[in-house]
Amino acid sequence: MEIVFHNRPEEKPRLLRALEVFAAEHRLPAKTRQAADLALEEYVTNLLNHAYADTALHEIRVRLSCDGRALHVEVEDDGREYNPLKAPLVDTSIPLEERPIGGLGIHLMRRFMDTLDYRRQGGRNILRMTKRLEA
Amino acid sequence: MEIRTSVSGNTHELLVAGRVDGEGANQLELEILAAIRANAQSIYVNLSQATFLCSAGLRALLQYWRQMKNSQRLLLVTRPSPEVDAVLATTGFKEQMVEKV
Repeated sequence: MEIVFHNRPEEKPRLLRALEVFAAEHRLPAKTRQAADLALEEYVTNLLNHAYADTALHEIRVRLSCDGRALHVEVEDDGREYNPLKAPLVDTSIPLEERPIGGLGIHLMRRFMDTLDYRRQGGRNILRMTKRLEA
Repeated sequence: MEIRTSVSGNTHELLVAGRVDGEGANQLELEILAAIRANAQSIYVNLSQATFLCSAGLRALLQYWRQMKNSQRLLLVTRPSPEVDAVLATTGFKEQMVEKV
């Protein structure tokens, strides 16, 4: 399944609905769907907030596939080059009084998805995430 | 997402139902601010009916947890749903921000 939408917050619900449809069609376990939901929310929100230097409409493509062992999620955009895997790790042992506010989005992506891979190709960011099928 | 507020003295409970995504986090922040303006000494954010919590929601909770603590007041999360509990645990928020029962 491929979902194409634009860099506008009001289009995010379309992505969520598509994930829910895909999850139902493929009978994805709830934890698998929830992990993908969270990772996509974090990454797409980051794109909407930071990827574009202009106010023009840009296409974002999300591809969902399932091979019986894992859910594969690929996000492709033409925003500024950004490799989320280079973001610093979050130290969750730091007391909340001292904890930096940022960095939690990528932390959640790292912890809830099993693999994250990034490449820059043809002026586009391509992030691929996988989550094993588990109940 | 819906938030119902119940007030008992200086204690405010915010019952959050639904999805705390980016938009939900903004709504949650407004409700917390309303409670603070109403001079709440304790704010309990009941997440038993929340189905989703993202980093925007965590940032809002952290910001106002700190603000309340710095003024000797209290903000705690109560009864997180399993989905929300997993997010709070993974980010190290659970120990200090979730009410212990």
